[in-house]
Amino acid sequence: MYRKQVRRRRAVLVLLVIVSVVALTSTFGGAAGGPFGTVRDGIATALGPFEEGASRALKPARDLVNWFHETFQARGENAQLKDEVRSLAVKKTKYEQAVGENKNLRKLLGIDHSGPMSGYKPVTARIIGRSPTVWYSTVTVDVGGGDGVRVNDPVVTGDGVVGRVTATTHGTAEVTLITDHTSAVSAKVLPNGPFGVVEPEAGDPSTLLLDFINSGKRIHRGAIVITAGWSNGSISSAYPYGLRIGRVTQTTASGQQAAERVQLRAFADLRGMDYVQVMTNGPHRPGLGGR
Amino acid sequence: MIVTRGIAIRLALILFVTVLLQISFFSYLSFFGSIPDLTPVVVASLGLLGGAVVGAVAGFCAGMLVDSALLQTLGVSSLALLAIGYMAGRYREGYEFSNSLAPPLIVGGLTLVYAAIFAALQIMLGVSTPVSLVILRDIVVKGLLGTLLALAIYPLVRRILRPALIDDAGRRAPIRAGAGRRRAPWRRARGSARRSGALAAGARSGRGS
Repeated sequence: MYRKQVRRRRAVLVLLVIVSVVALTSTFGGAAGGPFGTVRDGIATALGPFEEGASRALKPARDLVNWFHETFQARGENAQLKDEVRSLAVKKTKYEQAVGENKNLRKLLGIDHSGPMSGYKPVTARIIGRSPTVWYSTVTVDVGGGDGVRVNDPVVTGDGVVGRVTATTHGTAEVTLITDHTSAVSAKVLPNGPFGVVEPEAGDPSTLLLDFINSGKRIHRGAIVITAGWSNGSISSAYPYGLRIGRVTQTTASGQQAAERVQLRAFADLRGMDYVQVMTNGPHRPGLGGR
Repeated sequence: MIVTRGIAIRLALILFVTVLLQISFFSYLSFFGSIPDLTPVVVASLGLLGGAVVGAVAGFCAGMLVDSALLQTLGVSSLALLAIGYMAGRYREGYEFSNSLAPPLIVGGLTLVYAAIFAALQIMLGVSTPVSLVILRDIVVKGLLGTLLALAIYPLVRRILRPALIDDAGRRAPIRAGAGRRRAPWRRARGSARRSGALAAGARSGRGS
């Protein structure tokens, strides 16, 4: 009797492990085909309304817990921000001058005023699910293929770029954030600094690194980094040129290391955001799947 | 645990609500740089209450639900969760709890093991970017948060499944015919220390007489 129980227990364990491994193999790397992909999409579609309901119902509780957390954090940041305000006041004057000049020059050249997102149709989406591990920086949004959302559509907030769509069902979509370890964004340091690739440090979603810097130019703390919109004719970045990514927070002395290590902080509040905009129906970008 | 149809429905509801709470509430919170993870806490609790098969099946189903809801690669969460569900169940089948703090501590430890297995699987599947040492802090903090969550979750799950629990029916069930449960290793060690202390005292008194 006892042996029979042990055999049954082992059989269940082996069966579950085999099914898990087969599921992993068939859906690894974002592959959505096959029976497991269909099952996953079906479950995601069925769970979508429940996730949305739970997300709405639990928002006050989330906000309450986060309010305590943010209050403690805000006290520490207060002094630092006061210093920043002083230095920013000087920069603001220069910025206003530059904006005025820019307007005049755009008028002269006849450039489109709507910025990097011209040609896209924005779809506002609510975040209804979030990955619980630091290994996947992904969120689920309440718009999907039925709303015109396609794989590789860029996703932004008012502060800057958030990520791109990596999977869709009819009513939901998975957005892989720029802090996910599979993410890499071609980037440019402003005003006319070098180009590089922004990628995260796996396991630490609060830090972004600017890698593969193609120039010996020194990058200074506080410099702004935007998307480069890289394309070589046959393949392209999913992100158009000019989306704000983040600000340089730390650079290491290049004398100590072979390459300069540049750390960024994303402009978009990737942990606290509730709504995002998915930029759909954008201009054709060669080499991107899903369009 | 005696799994009747009613209990199976309760188990399914527990897992469904757990996954919803995880992706809609707990994933938005951050303590000491880590996100509290409810799913391994519930799976380990189910394993401790229901045994190895219940723990493994619950872990597998919870993992599939989480990965499907977030449109992630299927199977990674399932493998890690079924491992800790099975471990929790095997522990329950082999040892009895000496005090009420033991289950939350075991659940916290298994949450830490879950985070470590998950990290190992991710690294084995390939990570193209540098891996931060912050991941070690995340694993430890997840274990601590798991212990705190288990203080509330384990009694709650036990309460929901009370009709099916053999231990709560007022008797201790033997693990197999003719054999009682073994004591936890630290209890055995303490017991043997006591015995050896008593022997030493006896020997001393014997020398003195």
